[in-house]
Amino acid sequence: MSSTSILAGSAGGAPRSRWLWRITEYVPQIMLAPSVLFSFVYVFGFTAWTFYISLSNSSLLPTYDFVGFEHYASLWENRRWVVAYTNLFLFGSLYVIGGVAIGLLLAILIDQRVKGESIWRTIYLYPLAVSFVVTGTVWNWLFSPTSGIQAFVRTLGWTDFRFDWITDRNFAIYTVVITGIWQASGFAMALFLAGLRSVDHDLIKAAQIDGAGMRRIYWRIVLPAIRPIFIAVIVILLQYAIKTFDLVVALTVGGPGIATTMPAIVVYDFMFQRGQIAEGAAAAIMILIALFGVLVPYGFWAWWRTRREAARG
Amino acid sequence: MRKYAYLAAGAVALSLAFGAAANAQPKTNLLHQWDNGSDAAAIAKLGEMYTAAGGEWHQTSIAGHTANTLAKLRADVVAGNAPPAVQLKGPEIAEWNDTGMTANLDELATAEGWDKVVAPELIAVMKPKGSWVAAPMNIHRVNWLWASKAVLDKSGITALPKTWEEFNADCEKIAAAGFICIAHGSADWTDATTFDSIVYGMDIDLYRKAFVEGDVDALRSDGMIKAFDQYRKMIGWMDPGIPGRAWDAALAMMTSGKAAFFFMGDWTIGTLNAGGFKEGTDYLCDQAPVDWGKPGYILNADSVVFFTQKDPDYIEGQALLAKTIMSPEFQTVFNQAKGSIPARMDVDLSTGFNACQVKSQKDLQASIEAGTLVRSMAHNMTVLQKYRGAMMEVITEFVNTPDMSGEDAANAMADAVEAQM
Amino acid sequence: MASAVAAYDPLATSGARRRAGAMVFVYALLVVFAGYYLLPLAVIVLNTFRDLPEIQRTGLIGLPSSFSLSAWPEAWAHYCVGGTCAGISRNFWNSVELVIPATIISTAIGALNGYILSKWRFRGSEFIFGAMTLGVFVPGQMSLLPWAFILGKLGLTNTIAGLVLVHCVQGISFTTLFCRNYYVNIPDDLIKAARIDGAGFWRIFRKIILPLSPPILIVTVIWQFTGIWNEFLFAVVFSSGEGQPITAALIALTGGGTSVHQYNVEAAAVLIAALPPLLVYFFGGRYFIRGLTQGAIK
Repeated sequence: MSSTSILAGSAGGAPRSRWLWRITEYVPQIMLAPSVLFSFVYVFGFTAWTFYISLSNSSLLPTYDFVGFEHYASLWENRRWVVAYTNLFLFGSLYVIGGVAIGLLLAILIDQRVKGESIWRTIYLYPLAVSFVVTGTVWNWLFSPTSGIQAFVRTLGWTDFRFDWITDRNFAIYTVVITGIWQASGFAMALFLAGLRSVDHDLIKAAQIDGAGMRRIYWRIVLPAIRPIFIAVIVILLQYAIKTFDLVVALTVGGPGIATTMPAIVVYDFMFQRGQIAEGAAAAIMILIALFGVLVPYGFWAWWRTRREAARG
Repeated sequence: MRKYAYLAAGAVALSLAFGAAANAQPKTNLLHQWDNGSDAAAIAKLGEMYTAAGGEWHQTSIAGHTANTLAKLRADVVAGNAPPAVQLKGPEIAEWNDTGMTANLDELATAEGWDKVVAPELIAVMKPKGSWVAAPMNIHRVNWLWASKAVLDKSGITALPKTWEEFNADCEKIAAAGFICIAHGSADWTDATTFDSIVYGMDIDLYRKAFVEGDVDALRSDGMIKAFDQYRKMIGWMDPGIPGRAWDAALAMMTSGKAAFFFMGDWTIGTLNAGGFKEGTDYLCDQAPVDWGKPGYILNADSVVFFTQKDPDYIEGQALLAKTIMSPEFQTVFNQAKGSIPARMDVDLSTGFNACQVKSQKDLQASIEAGTLVRSMAHNMTVLQKYRGAMMEVITEFVNTPDMSGEDAANAMADAVEAQM
Repeated sequence: MASAVAAYDPLATSGARRRAGAMVFVYALLVVFAGYYLLPLAVIVLNTFRDLPEIQRTGLIGLPSSFSLSAWPEAWAHYCVGGTCAGISRNFWNSVELVIPATIISTAIGALNGYILSKWRFRGSEFIFGAMTLGVFVPGQMSLLPWAFILGKLGLTNTIAGLVLVHCVQGISFTTLFCRNYYVNIPDDLIKAARIDGAGFWRIFRKIILPLSPPILIVTVIWQFTGIWNEFLFAVVFSSGEGQPITAALIALTGGGTSVHQYNVEAAAVLIAALPPLLVYFFGGRYFIRGLTQGAIK
């Protein structure tokens, strides 16, 4: 549709100058432009600056003398960074998988025509309204062996009850997982529930007529139909996982020792506590690299799928 | 007519400029991390005194870890908006001084005679390149040993241990009597605080070489391994709930009679006072054990650094703030609240101060005379943050990793520091 | 909205008793999970009513032995935080001043962007959409110094306006994502018909898109409101003195440093701080699901 017809219709009168026509044709782009500018500066500009800083000798303040990749080298020699990076993958995968699983489970449960649905939904959804700092703090109270759940259960009579993961180097990371899932799985549940509700009933009816059992209907029809929801949930959970900072600081302060430290905390510590901005920037770039390690394969897979579906007609 | 307008405008501008300089209303905005509780109350006193002296008081307090305050400082500096006054300490004063952005306080210092009244070890920190750039607010003592009189009595111990050998023997007795010997809450700074006292007490030269100078060989030495081994023994006398326990919860273990000893700096005093505990009857205080038989003192000091400003109000305000901070009245009031002792050695502590604070001042003098005064690594008074952070990571890992040997820890610490060089 | 399996109730075919049994199982699971989710809230609420010595004695989980309301006014008006002892009320209103404009602006821009990127596609618009969406992954620690630099150049350091700018730009990534994926489900024929009738860019937006938008706008508003209200890092670094938002006060909870915890007052402070987002969730929750149901996410 050409813009001239639109203009003729809406102006309903005298012809306008060519200049005005051209502008009007590009109104969408013009309106989009400021957002694009800001976003691109934010995403690409900041990343490029961070990358350049990671190659500089910035310490207390950003400076711009190039020194090459030495900060990346010293970063990987740092025990704490190695632990943090490993934690990112360990925590990230458990958090995303757990969040998806529990969110889906809760959505399916609520979908079974349960009574008082809005109450259940509110109960599972409200954690996202709470800030990470508060979440971490309260769960820190709960996990504490001397004044939390372990102590409480012991006062009830089970004097040998143990739940001291948060003080155990090898298990503390799982407390972070539990807390993280508590916070975000409600949102996953909401997304899945919305998706389940929008599945085409005809498909289900057809399967029912064919005599399929409930499990097969869910597995073969319903879940594949909400595949885009899975993507959305994973994106949301993934960006939370990468940015995990306040939650861990409030929950374990990266401890016991350095057992639950996360990359975002290391970045912050290097950049601000220790006045080693270049090293912190290198750590930040490594976080982005980990992210791209996940996004790029997905991007290829999605592109390959669209092509396959287009080919199928 | 236009000419007159210009003239008039020029006259007005000039008079405003002169007026501004002459009528600069001193104001300040102190950036600090004493955000809540008794710390906030102490800073509030500074505000009161500042306002009483005619200044306009603003403050930005940032809770949580020091990193948050430093993040804000850096952000403000990068934005071209350095704060007029910031709480900074130790080697950071020198680092920021190197950027050339700090204000010079020499004029005020000479007029007020600061060089005569501040402890010599501290002066070096406040004058990194020979000029005063920071005003010290207090002196904390890090190497305190706190003990529960009740538990000691019940375990048959009559005096606080003077050496580490005596300490170990006492712990055996206390453990046998069924108490926890050492109350502790593990965090990177609390673990390092205790270790400060251990290394210092076992070998003061090792402390100086390893923690004040950051010498890698000293970090790797046998002396350091022995210190870690002693620490491992002590961890055996702590209860298993140490990770994540807040330091004041650990203190509560001592005051409630569950544990005997507690290693912590003198900010403990503020909490003890608030809890109504009395020195001598409820708790005892003395220096942490030393093996070389002289009075010892590990020093930590809070101070305020000033960044050069363009606004004349802020410039005036800085001088006024520095003056207020160094005034004997402020030093008295502030330190009574905080549990530390004044940075000025000429302040009389006989009224309003806790017995341990009085002892702290006496011990400081004695330590200066004996030549044993050092600054604290755990509290960021010696090596640069990048080395300190590396050391503290290993120390806290050691505390929380039962199968990490002293040798592994010493090597790890040396390696980590070396990697930053 | 009817349940996915409303038309087909699989459990019914196995007989009423088996269905009842399965439903018991369903409810049992729901209750167990509800416990997991409600436990922290219960602990916090109970702790606001206990007094401090009791908490220090018996730990943080427990019923109040003496019911006391003093923690609430203490938290609001007397709690020593932010370097003064004036409670968190000041911080609370600062947050309100920050969050409302930031939410409105970022939602409005997101809606506009979503409209453009779904209905007025042009060459490169998909790439632009993808690139803008990448913004959701940028960690705050990384963007802190660049933002400081930009705010400094714009003269917006330590102002609410500066914080609004930061949150808007960062929010655009989320709001555009939500809105665009919602608007793609609006049939293109509707747009085409309007254009044939002579409607331009703005008229279509006002007459067609906006009336259909409430569900997704509410989703976006809830997301942004909660996110910005609870955000800590920028709130602390890009504000100063009396202008600090409420998260700056909450950080005191993580208790770095050498002060003592007043757990009951802190719990009250936490609840006061969490109240606006919680209320937004309680009242908006219904629309939240509805907005998502109508295909918010592709």
